[in-house]
Amino acid sequence: MTTYASPIGSSLKRVDGPGKISGLEKYAADYYPDNFLWAGAKRSDHPHALIKEIDISPVRNLPGIFAVLTHEDIKGANRVGVPEMDQPVLADRKVLYKGDPVALVLAENKTVLQEAIDKIVIKYEPLPAVFDPEAALAENAPLLHENRNDKNLLLGGRVVRGNSIAAMSECDAVAEADFQLPWQEHAYLETEAGVARVDEEGILAIIASTQTPWRDRNELAYALGWPLDKIRVIAPYLGGGFGGKDGITVQGLLGLAALHSGGRPVKMWNSREESFLSSTKRHPGRVHYELGCKKDGTLYAMNCRIVLDTGAYASLGGPVLALAMEHAAGVYRIPHALIEGFSVYTNNPVGGAFRGFGAPQVLAGLEQMMDILADKIAWDPLAFRLKNAVMRGDETGAGVWMSNSTAIIPCLEKLQEHPLWTSRQAWVSQAPPFKLRGVGIAAGLQGTGYGPMVADIANAKIELLPDGRFRIYSGVADMGQGNNPTNVQIAAEVLGQTADCFELIQPDTLQTLPSGSSAASRTTYSYGNALKAAALQLKERILTRACNMGMGLYAEDFLLSSGRLNHLPSGREIPLGLVAASMRPEERVSIYSYTAPVNRYPDKINPNIRAAGFPHRVFAFACHLARVQIDELTGEVEISDYLAATDAGKVLNPQLYEQQVQGGAVQGMGYALWEDFKLDRGELMTRNLATYILPTSMDVPDILSIAVESVEESGPFGMKGIGEIVINLALPAIANGIARAVGQHIFKSPLTAEQLLLILEKRAAE
Amino acid sequence: MSQVFLPHTLEELWTIKQENPAALIMAGGTDLLVKIRDRKLPPAVILALENIAELRQIERQDGEICIGSMVTHQQLLDSPIIQTQLPVLHQAVAVLGSPPIRHMGTIGGNICTASPAGDTLPPLYVLNAGLELKNAAAGRLLPIQDFIQGPGQTLLGSNEILYKIRIPIPAPHSHGFYFKVGQRKALAIAICSMASLLQFAEDKRILEGRFAWGSTGPTVMRFPEVENTLIGEKLSPIILGRLGQSMAALVSPISDVRASAEYRRLLASKLPLKIWQSLI
Amino acid sequence: MKIAFELNGIKQEIDCLPDRRVVDLLREELGYTGTKEACGSGECGACTILVDGVSKLSCLMLAAQLQGRSITTIEGMSPGKKLHPIQQAFVDKGAVQCGFCSPGMLMATVDLLQRNPAPDRQQIRAALSGNLCRCTGYQKIIDAVESAAAEMRDKL
Repeated sequence: MTTYASPIGSSLKRVDGPGKISGLEKYAADYYPDNFLWAGAKRSDHPHALIKEIDISPVRNLPGIFAVLTHEDIKGANRVGVPEMDQPVLADRKVLYKGDPVALVLAENKTVLQEAIDKIVIKYEPLPAVFDPEAALAENAPLLHENRNDKNLLLGGRVVRGNSIAAMSECDAVAEADFQLPWQEHAYLETEAGVARVDEEGILAIIASTQTPWRDRNELAYALGWPLDKIRVIAPYLGGGFGGKDGITVQGLLGLAALHSGGRPVKMWNSREESFLSSTKRHPGRVHYELGCKKDGTLYAMNCRIVLDTGAYASLGGPVLALAMEHAAGVYRIPHALIEGFSVYTNNPVGGAFRGFGAPQVLAGLEQMMDILADKIAWDPLAFRLKNAVMRGDETGAGVWMSNSTAIIPCLEKLQEHPLWTSRQAWVSQAPPFKLRGVGIAAGLQGTGYGPMVADIANAKIELLPDGRFRIYSGVADMGQGNNPTNVQIAAEVLGQTADCFELIQPDTLQTLPSGSSAASRTTYSYGNALKAAALQLKERILTRACNMGMGLYAEDFLLSSGRLNHLPSGREIPLGLVAASMRPEERVSIYSYTAPVNRYPDKINPNIRAAGFPHRVFAFACHLARVQIDELTGEVEISDYLAATDAGKVLNPQLYEQQVQGGAVQGMGYALWEDFKLDRGELMTRNLATYILPTSMDVPDILSIAVESVEESGPFGMKGIGEIVINLALPAIANGIARAVGQHIFKSPLTAEQLLLILEKRAAE
Repeated sequence: MSQVFLPHTLEELWTIKQENPAALIMAGGTDLLVKIRDRKLPPAVILALENIAELRQIERQDGEICIGSMVTHQQLLDSPIIQTQLPVLHQAVAVLGSPPIRHMGTIGGNICTASPAGDTLPPLYVLNAGLELKNAAAGRLLPIQDFIQGPGQTLLGSNEILYKIRIPIPAPHSHGFYFKVGQRKALAIAICSMASLLQFAEDKRILEGRFAWGSTGPTVMRFPEVENTLIGEKLSPIILGRLGQSMAALVSPISDVRASAEYRRLLASKLPLKIWQSLI
Repeated sequence: MKIAFELNGIKQEIDCLPDRRVVDLLREELGYTGTKEACGSGECGACTILVDGVSKLSCLMLAAQLQGRSITTIEGMSPGKKLHPIQQAFVDKGAVQCGFCSPGMLMATVDLLQRNPAPDRQQIRAALSGNLCRCTGYQKIIDAVESAAAEMRDKL
């Protein structure tokens, strides 16, 4: 274990490393309770249909089958979803996408489980289905959720600044383009998994790979009709999340199974194929941009129309749209702007939370528009961005005040002075035979937290243990981003301890305190702020108690360090265990509730958009640079070099910061070049990792990371969330590099080798 | 499924096969077990060949290289004989699958799976490989292009195994080359692949050129009439470009989830230039 | 079917269905959940173990194939709680984020360093190309392998 005395700012080794690398750390998928039953779902094979009959009689008495459940076995409301509860745990009247669960089987082993699932007969009356959001908005489109005033429109609205229609005609240069963005699969290594059991006292305890244990509990109480105080959810370390485990995945089915298993534990662990079928995805969409500027390089007008396909159920399709709209003007001042957004139901897989949450889709378009427009006025694309980039105190084109730390300009400047940028001309001209080269950049931002949608509150709890060590009661699940290790670092800093003085309890609705979701780049920002304050409270209490015990006169005469107090005037050393022993148990526990600040302006946008989280207040910023080399014979794109300059406030842990930058950039590269999610009329064509292509270690380069450290005063030790900004810019940076290499922009992503070669061929023929 | 047999000798194998005529032969398991998981094959009795040492040899004899059917791709990669004598095959197994797949997968399995995308196949076609099949009673030799009839279809008899692959050692100063386009750089099924074997005279003119194409038709394909047009020519981008155009007109790719027919055909027209690119 | 094999240096004799997947046998019957499953079809490497010292995918192996073999899983890398130098390098270099790919990466690394004790970064990337990671972008894993290789060479 490490013994750094001042952990903040140092690369304190993650405390979860040893357990994970020795194979001893247990994920939700790793639990095999005694005498457990497997649970598995029978899912719809129609994209849109009425359920006429569910016949479970062929399987109910199969050997090895414990029970078969349908919606009739659900006592509660049978609806989950946040913010809108429109998704059944088991479909009752209709199925709305291929993957909608209709029946749940409990079995002794996986073989007989699958046999039973195959044998259940469901009679459907197929309904006309719709797979395109524009078609779903049309007059006579089939309705997914009848009785909605807005029909297939989940959320729509506009943001208006000035008069962009008129202003566009006053521009000296205008560019217009239509961008197509695909679904993206989270593809975490640990698929959705969990175990559940109802004990003798009727407590339903669930261990699940979830980003939202407290919210899950609330949803389960409502959906299953079980008392809230008799539900317990525990979130061990997740084997990845990225937003795909933000909400109910298997927990509803697990809870239902456990309520019908005669007290036996139940386990559910989605196969990779079932994860593809049933999990949420990044919203695909079309983004239309019209962007105009004056010849002095000033951006003047922008029209943007965003249409997102939110799939069969609402999930977070409203908030994703709102965030997309909020980020549609990127990091630029644009006096006249019109942003229209539509989040539309279709019979496609459900769109939900995915790292970036709407920002990748709009920045993909905007940042390519910036290059196109820069070229039109013969401006250097980086200088063009610098000319228009916001500073603190500015409003973006979406009308969002940059009221907090804003260091996009220093990020751009870091790129501007970097050899990868300054040598670009020479590098491009040195392209080997049969290769084309280009260098592309992109700049952007990401709001931290929930915005004005729901209160962002974290409740930290930290305890001085009788032996003088400390226990942190984590409130936010750790899906790999390292917020738990960072909690140790924060507490160690405040309390003057080394990392080995701390224990961590993972989020557990019985033992730790509600602290919001592991999402929205808020996990260290919110919980860290709460923990810092709770630790400070505890520290003051310890020092005061030392005075109380007659060890000294003034609290400020004591120095807290690893396992002890030093009384500076006398040189006396007091073991922390002694101070702990003099405290009542309730005195050794410190709790602090932190509520993140919210942007309360503007109020001049559609209230539904506002309620979905527009706008945020604290933003992270970044600009990325990609040097790409295209193989003229195959169309394959190689990313030769990649640079990220990031403003996420102060760096608490350089190694952890880099982990996020590198990992996010590569996940963004996947979105840019390889991850071509294919559907045909609601049927998955890419249904596993053999056909949905993730980048391997041979496909991506080393990534250079530069930290531009602004001071975010509202964040613990000056930091801001970094989890999402890191994925937002790979696609546009690479797209811009490819455009410079090839001589034209490509508007449909991913930018596959196939697409590129066919374009190169077409260009050669002309 | 349920029963799994792992005989140590061919004699044991024949006995088990006779008692379990419907048993599925398993080589490395990397294709078979995935097919069973995907429910493309029903669970059945498995007859695994991995313990039969006789099938794991690489030998050079009488102007031929003999490779046992259960030789793994990693064994081929590690073999100095393969590296020096059959570089076209060596290049192919270097880009096949991934390291653990290469530790498990076998050349015999790759052949009998008979996917048009199988990486060892185009090299074996240009090497004019012969396949020795055996059953309890006898053996027979078939050229690989006759053995593979279509995607997943071979002439392997229900009581036969693939025993050995026999490859005539290429003439000295041959140039073997394999290039594969996949959707990424590893763990990638070939979308279009090309193996070439060129033999040069002293004056650098081509004496013989063989080209085999993967993932562009129901089986690996060769076009002897186009190959013949190379004879007497010197290698150049123009010659290779023309060759590519001719071959691309003759391949018959399909569109699937990985790539369109149009892209595959376009790749076929370009891949011969990869030979040039590798030489400059 | 009775199967006798060695697991992490300890002799095992088990009775199970011969076609039980090795990954399931390890995790469920034997309680070694360090070996993970993330795809079940050989596409991700999370289930990588060593079989007679060679890295293989346990999701594509049947229990009967274990007979007479010597198997090493991640749990066998650090008997007695002290981390193996490669594991320590993964921890020190920040190569572990969510950690679900880490055991597989580790076993692939052991295989690599047995074959090539001094790999360059490109060779490391090639050796790990059968192991997918969604969190790290691979870079710190490459750093860790480089560091572990150097340290293990120094110790010789």
